[in-house]
Amino acid sequence: MSAKSPLINWIGLATIIRREWSRLMRVPIQAFLAPWISALLFIFIFGFVVGSRISHIGGHRYLEFVLPGILMMNIVNAAFLQSSSQVYFSRFLRYIEEALVAPLSYAEMIAGIIAIVILRAVVTALGILIIAACFGATSIDAIPEFVFWIIIVSMVFGLLGIVIGLWANNFEQLTILNVFLITPLSFVGGVFNTLSMLPPWLRWLAWGNPFFYFINGIRHAMIGYSEAPQGLGIAVALALGVVMSLAVWRLYAIGYGLRE
Amino acid sequence: MVPALSVSHLHKVYRRGTVGVDDLSLEVAPGDFFGFLGPNGAGKSTTIHCISGIANPTSGRIEVFGVDAVKHYRDARRLVGLSPQEFNVDPFANARDIVDWMGGYFGITAAQRRDRVDMLLQKFDLVAHAKKRFRELSGGLKRRVMLARAMVNDPALLILDEPTAGVDVELRRDLWRYLQELNADGKTIFLTSHYLEEVERLCRNIAIVAGGRIVRQGPKEEFVREPGGLEAAYLRATGAEPDHVAAPGA
Repeated sequence: MSAKSPLINWIGLATIIRREWSRLMRVPIQAFLAPWISALLFIFIFGFVVGSRISHIGGHRYLEFVLPGILMMNIVNAAFLQSSSQVYFSRFLRYIEEALVAPLSYAEMIAGIIAIVILRAVVTALGILIIAACFGATSIDAIPEFVFWIIIVSMVFGLLGIVIGLWANNFEQLTILNVFLITPLSFVGGVFNTLSMLPPWLRWLAWGNPFFYFINGIRHAMIGYSEAPQGLGIAVALALGVVMSLAVWRLYAIGYGLRE
Repeated sequence: MVPALSVSHLHKVYRRGTVGVDDLSLEVAPGDFFGFLGPNGAGKSTTIHCISGIANPTSGRIEVFGVDAVKHYRDARRLVGLSPQEFNVDPFANARDIVDWMGGYFGITAAQRRDRVDMLLQKFDLVAHAKKRFRELSGGLKRRVMLARAMVNDPALLILDEPTAGVDVELRRDLWRYLQELNADGKTIFLTSHYLEEVERLCRNIAIVAGGRIVRQGPKEEFVREPGGLEAAYLRATGAEPDHVAAPGA
């Protein structure tokens, strides 16, 4: 009897992605239209209406300055909401058991979730870039750097979403991190302002805020403006990616929130 | 001969200290139709969850056709098909997708999957309901989808946890016939059921579990031959008194 599993269950992995994409397509308004409308409003009000009264920053129009931050906020939200809801609902409705009884490794299950997280983040980002282009604000100076930031940030927040999806036992808990950590940190991470606009005591706090490096990184990739060494930002992002990957793999291995 | 299923000294203690299974051991021979009986909360579903990967065993050893179900879990899963007691599906997905996705998880190619899913939908009379969402199906149809899903990987060991709960008499009869055909073709079937008539009709060997332990195990004939038949033997084994059950017409 041949029971040997292939090294990587590619079809299984593709099925996780295909299945979740089909679930996502049941709620396109929530998944894509909502962040695009929200980004449109941010771009219009902060970038266009308010921004027209603000002087240039580093030689860039205010709209060009805030766009990378708005983009990053939406990527973070898309990534976190995607994985946390995917994991939580599959636990809540128990269809996660379909994956648990199948010959899928933990790494394949996690990779499947992260792949769809990145896909959702990329589609969200593309939509926002198109909206921004309508306001004449889309520019990408360094495409590889831009792609790197989209992928690494979606990955980090996708992994964080998995942890919350495994931990949460009700809908309230699912939103806690978003309300108390992600939104505040992203707002003080330099979406709308430079570091020098902050009061001195808050500037030092920004250096400990990972959102600052993410926003700064994508801003550098888009318009070439940076307030921190790129190497430091990349190192912080990669370190977070590695730590989160190991943590999530460990949670899957011990069955936390998955296997009773 | 390597057993189809071997469970040795299985312990399962849940996080809050509840003991689900306590030193449970059993063996199922290849090609057997094995009945696993016990009252509610006895440890039947917990045992099945540990075998199939839904729960982590606290200690003990589980082997499926000689493959360690914990150390080599991917290889072991490949050999098992599970139809669980509770509906563990996405209620907004349609019947065809539910079966097809499961086939995908098992690494079956798209072309093979299409044929296999078509065959199973046909077999379980689901063709007309293939595009309906799971939540729109009747209880009996839902049960059929679960069975089709369990069969998609053509498992060597088919585990059925209360497969006929809530289904009508016609489907139950059809299902019995289908399971007997599968078993005749060499498929090993591990069945839990509260319908003793079903177990008596289908199974060759029986184990009774109570309080997380096997309290009796043997060929069906041994149980059936006893005064009062399988029901009385079952009640005695689980500690209930057969006499307290009123006889029909009494």
